[in-house]
Amino acid sequence: MPSVCFYFQVHQPFRIRHYSVFDIGKDHFYEDSEKNKWIMDKVSEKCYLPANYKMLELIKRHKGKFKISYSLSGTVIEQMELYRPDVLQTFVDLAKTGCVEFLSETYYHSLSFLYNKDEFVRQVKAHDERIEHYFKQKPKVFRNTELIYNNELAAFIEKMGYKGILCEGVDRLLHGKHPNHLLKPVGTKSIKALLKNYRLSDDIAFRFSDKNWTEWPLHADTFASWIHKVAGSGDVINLFMDYETFGEHQWESTGIFDFMDHLPREILKHPDFNFKTPSEVVDTYNARGVYDAHEFVSWADSERDLSAWLGNNMQQEALKKIYSISDDVVASDNKDLMEVWGKLQTSDHFYYMSTKFWSDGDVHKYFSPYNSPYDAYIFYMNVFADFEATVRPGAGKKSTAKRSTVKKKAPARTSKKKDSE
Amino acid sequence: MRKPKILMLGWEFPPVINGGLGVACHDLCLAMAKHAKVTMIIPKSNPEFVVKDLNLIGLNTIDSRTLKQVNYKDEYKTFEDVHFIPSELNPYYTERKNTFAIPAADINSQYMKEVRIGRKQAKVFHIDDLYGGDVIEKVTVFGELASMLAQTLDFDIIHAHDWMTMLAGMEIKRLTGKPLVVHVHSLEVDRGGVNSQGWVYQMEKRGMEEADLLMPVSNFTGNIINEYYGIDYRKIFPVHNGIREVKPFRTKSPYEEKTVLFVGRLTRQKGPEYFVDIAAKVLEKNPNVRFIMAGTGDMQNRILEKVAQKQIGHRFHLAGFLGLDKVRYLLSIADVYCMPSVSEPFGLSAVEAVQFDIPAVISKQSGVAEVLSGALKFDFWDINQAAEYILSVIENNILHEQVTADAQKDLKNISWDIAANRVMEGYKKHKLIK
Repeated sequence: MPSVCFYFQVHQPFRIRHYSVFDIGKDHFYEDSEKNKWIMDKVSEKCYLPANYKMLELIKRHKGKFKISYSLSGTVIEQMELYRPDVLQTFVDLAKTGCVEFLSETYYHSLSFLYNKDEFVRQVKAHDERIEHYFKQKPKVFRNTELIYNNELAAFIEKMGYKGILCEGVDRLLHGKHPNHLLKPVGTKSIKALLKNYRLSDDIAFRFSDKNWTEWPLHADTFASWIHKVAGSGDVINLFMDYETFGEHQWESTGIFDFMDHLPREILKHPDFNFKTPSEVVDTYNARGVYDAHEFVSWADSERDLSAWLGNNMQQEALKKIYSISDDVVASDNKDLMEVWGKLQTSDHFYYMSTKFWSDGDVHKYFSPYNSPYDAYIFYMNVFADFEATVRPGAGKKSTAKRSTVKKKAPARTSKKKDSE
Repeated sequence: MRKPKILMLGWEFPPVINGGLGVACHDLCLAMAKHAKVTMIIPKSNPEFVVKDLNLIGLNTIDSRTLKQVNYKDEYKTFEDVHFIPSELNPYYTERKNTFAIPAADINSQYMKEVRIGRKQAKVFHIDDLYGGDVIEKVTVFGELASMLAQTLDFDIIHAHDWMTMLAGMEIKRLTGKPLVVHVHSLEVDRGGVNSQGWVYQMEKRGMEEADLLMPVSNFTGNIINEYYGIDYRKIFPVHNGIREVKPFRTKSPYEEKTVLFVGRLTRQKGPEYFVDIAAKVLEKNPNVRFIMAGTGDMQNRILEKVAQKQIGHRFHLAGFLGLDKVRYLLSIADVYCMPSVSEPFGLSAVEAVQFDIPAVISKQSGVAEVLSGALKFDFWDINQAAEYILSVIENNILHEQVTADAQKDLKNISWDIAANRVMEGYKKHKLIK
């Protein structure tokens, strides 16, 4: 009985504003609230709301046979609290159906596992608490930021008590095998890895509206027939993608919602096929081999590695800097500082600094709120200079300004705090 | 396959040059010689100056009565060897006549001259300066002579550079029926602002309307052609300029402070006033920076006054007009190159800075912004943003290295060979050649 396992990533970062060198020491509000709200509204209208309604409808229509999973970052939940409680409510409604699983991740959608394990644990716990608070379920399966993964992470996550972990099915690690079985990560006892089937996932996430693609336009029955080919040779087809695929990356006019509307029925036409959530997949199937990811892999860009966040010196420097003040932030025991620090760890900030102009640059450009990777870096480092001076007075640049704590519920720019010493 | 024959019409050409136009024409012709047989007609050539693979004809060497080349050898004493146009002269400067009429070419023009060579008499086109004087008359006589000469030549395409040769191009097209390509290096709208309506603007508009294909040096200029001249995008085919390779070098700077360099004419188009504003803004935050401005022009006094008014004279230096060697010296000591142009069709000087491995802080209103990913780009009016970039790139080594490293990659895609290929591609795409 092969299963189809859907997982959708839902995430928005707290983008930082065009924070000038002239603001350092004078203005401690870093977020581009206006833009964050604007994007949250846009994505809510185009994707979150219509997609959630569609999923709810499908779950009802198929009477529990259609199941999906989500991972919501802590920052997107915060933004829903701030700007779109109505969207948050539809996720709660989805949770109540019993057909939706919520996965674990780092609260700030961060790269903390690479830099600070204590911070990583803190963020994962904070995230799971938030998920439990809203959705009344304790995450059992973990997915790391952008599916960044290696053996060490799998072992670490197992020790934290999770039974499954999601990762990219990277060709060079599969050695010609397909990703449609659970695998045991090297160096672990019982945790199971679910591998993304990137070909079938990307057919929906990237190629769906590509008119130059030989399969365009893709219909649900065709796609279901590709899924059905797995019969007899695999246990689970993992379709992992950004939730924004629905309505935002693939506009409604491409027919993506109609496609999704028909897809469960077409897949269930084959009597051997069903839908399962990641936890159910882990409970149902055995691992059939090992997955050995010595180096870090991810689901980003064509390289499927860390180069989207660590590809150049600006990115490495910015990351090194933000984690260099870990001890001071933690020692401050100041909740506001911890929050600002957490938000500055969100991986998107570093993604915007990527200088891959010549390969995957277009994708980076599409997602960036800045004109160039240099802007992303300059604004970030300016923010860091100000933040560092707050956390470690006297250590960084001279700053005589005292910090006014950033209020969490800051609507737009109106509550922007300014200090004029 | 037969090489297509291109008849180019130029105005500036080495060694008689003022700015980028002459060098660009020369280097483009050379690169195009690999694909085509190029004949170049210019107002004035030095008979000693021979360019390999290029049939160069100066109208000063053509007898207007026989249309034959005059054999000067060293008998024509009036020719100055290297003739630099005074740099304070705004290229293409003309009196702004507001009515557009093309005067009849006058073969008795003040710009025709009887010369005696040995026992022979010849009447040739003779102008001291390419610009200045009655440019409209010069352009008209050039058009007349060039079109007479063209009828004795064999070619497939007419390729004219800028408005000074457009009249000639139109006339040759009318007489021969050959397609006209206009290469646009600079426009009156760039030089004089968007309200330009004078004779030159009208000439440009007429020339571009009659051309079969336009090759602006950037998308930026292509957009101006569409927006301010009303030309259909379908006949606009941008060709980015190339650049000559140089051997960059570093010299130990005489200053303790970091140095920010501006090179360009001090005219509205180049945004020199913004450079002063940017300097003042930077110095607010970091007093240890020096600003050097190389070039001269009609705004020099205003710049001086502004520097004094901002009280930054101790950190802001006007170097005046400098020759190539001096400019290269400045590039070799500079830490940042700043180009705040208001409207820059291309902006070769920014690429020269990149060749010297200097990070370029350039306005988005430039063609070069399209080919340099590795550059910090601001809207020319956004003083704060430019100051921010200069401060960041001076104070942050990692940013400095990243920008220069990225720019070096860009440099591989900027060459006259690429430009020549693109020109040929344009000819083909528009079915001017097979």
